Amino acid sequence: MSTPHNDREPMLRIEDLTVSYHRVPAIHHLSLSLGSGHCVGLFGPNGAGKSTLLKSVAGLLKPETGRILIEGISLEKAASLIAYLPQRESVDWDFPVTVRGLVEMGRYHQVGLIGSFSQRDQKAVEEAMELFNLTPLARRQIKELSGGQQQRAFLARAWAQEADLYLLDEPFGGLDRTSATALAAALGTLRERGKLLLVSHHALAEAESLFDTAILLNGEMVACGPTSEALSPQNLECAYGTAIYSGAHDHS
Amino acid sequence: MNWCSHLLSSLVEPFGYSFMQRALLSCALIGFTNGFLGTFIILRRQALLADALSHSLLPGLAVAAMIVGLSPGGLLLGGLIAALFVALGAQVMARNSRLKEETAVASLYIIAFALGIVLIRFAKVKVDLTHFLFGNILGVGNGDLWIAYGAAFLTLGTLVLFQRPLLLTLFDVTVAQASGVRVRWVETGLLALTVLGLVASLQAVGVLLSLGLLIIPAATAYLLTDSFNRMLWGGAFLGMVCAVGGLFISFFANIPSGPCIVMLMAVFLGAAYLFSPRYGVLFKLIRGHHYHEESLERWEGHQGHDHQVPDKEFKQ
Repeated sequence: MSTPHNDREPMLRIEDLTVSYHRVPAIHHLSLSLGSGHCVGLFGPNGAGKSTLLKSVAGLLKPETGRILIEGISLEKAASLIAYLPQRESVDWDFPVTVRGLVEMGRYHQVGLIGSFSQRDQKAVEEAMELFNLTPLARRQIKELSGGQQQRAFLARAWAQEADLYLLDEPFGGLDRTSATALAAALGTLRERGKLLLVSHHALAEAESLFDTAILLNGEMVACGPTSEALSPQNLECAYGTAIYSGAHDHS
Repeated sequence: MNWCSHLLSSLVEPFGYSFMQRALLSCALIGFTNGFLGTFIILRRQALLADALSHSLLPGLAVAAMIVGLSPGGLLLGGLIAALFVALGAQVMARNSRLKEETAVASLYIIAFALGIVLIRFAKVKVDLTHFLFGNILGVGNGDLWIAYGAAFLTLGTLVLFQRPLLLTLFDVTVAQASGVRVRWVETGLLALTVLGLVASLQAVGVLLSLGLLIIPAATAYLLTDSFNRMLWGGAFLGMVCAVGGLFISFFANIPSGPCIVMLMAVFLGAAYLFSPRYGVLFKLIRGHHYHEESLERWEGHQGHDHQVPDKEFKQ
């Protein structure tokens, strides 16, 4: 895959990754390499390791084997390049913060501990809000936004952070149609600007219109490639079909 | 003019006594510091943890009293060690077993409190349980005042310096961790400052009032603003005003100072609960239920997609 940023190192490279919870492995020996400027969908049945993969790349889970490199740099050093978007349930929506305040959080890394916001920082914040159509909502408390606006506010925060890799865990869950369309457009904008997006998603219906690349998981890598090829009937059978034999089922 | 000067002289009267000067000063310091720290405690939803920790100070105080007597420094150290023991012990228990953290904290602090009461029996000096709970604001000595200065300086300095990582962590732990914040350090540091705040104000106001100053002013500010900064400094200011104001009222009305300060805070909390322009119970009744333009936009949006909706449902 093409890498406009850097010719030698891909945006994200995962080598032989295994992650376990309480000794039960959720991802087995997974390797992949993704360049920037792609919107990648993560598919697979429940328990296939979609969230686990996202959390591992975010540095929230410790790999048992293998390593993850961002533009050739280890995860700890590349933290500011990664934006992990929280699932809706993990956010305290009553927090005393406005949309602008939320987007400003993205700049904390650049501004440092007690430095004040420079003009450049202010500009980055305003640009991020403009890009995601949040400028008229800047003074609203975050609970006073619709679900789609809340998602876009977090994307704007990641943009202000100047992140290159966006990790989104089921962002379309619970969105109505209008919001989902707006979110899809926002993801498209990010891809055009050369970002790499890794998005877990459970509905296969609109996969091709949302993602140019798809990864199909089932505890291990089933397929990775252009969406239509990766989600071919055989591959889907392989990913979803095997689940029938692995669980505790009634065999009568 | 006579009544005017009379009023004035009676207002400044408390400043004439040195015990009252020390009391006022320590009230202002503790009120401000605890009010400031309170914002972090509330947003982290640790009000009850702070309550538990306040009780777990007792065995540390008892051991300190047994070894070095009732010196402020010894009590500070003893209380600090005991509370950290409970707080960190609970974290370790929660991490290594299936017990959840609040269960571990609740178990440990009850055990610590009981242990403290047993240990008090063996202390050479007499430790008064009422004193532990309510303090003795008029008996504040210079040593206590120095401790209050030091604790205030350390707490405020640390919180201001690390305000940004703290804010990120409070808002969303996982996102903060993913963006490179050392979340565990931040959480442990906050815990340590809470304990320090409780212990440092022990002699003056006791654990109950200290806890009150930690929670109520910040809770009041939380009801009034959507800005983190305003909540932070507003809570601190309110804590200071209530502590000093309550002490004044208690002086003139001749009632115990601790309850008086709490009652004054209660008035502010009640007023904010009812009359806050944004989150007050009364104003919610009057205000519109939603943003009109947005509901219109949404409705029109759905109109446009009307024919697609059943289509989508069939596909899934």
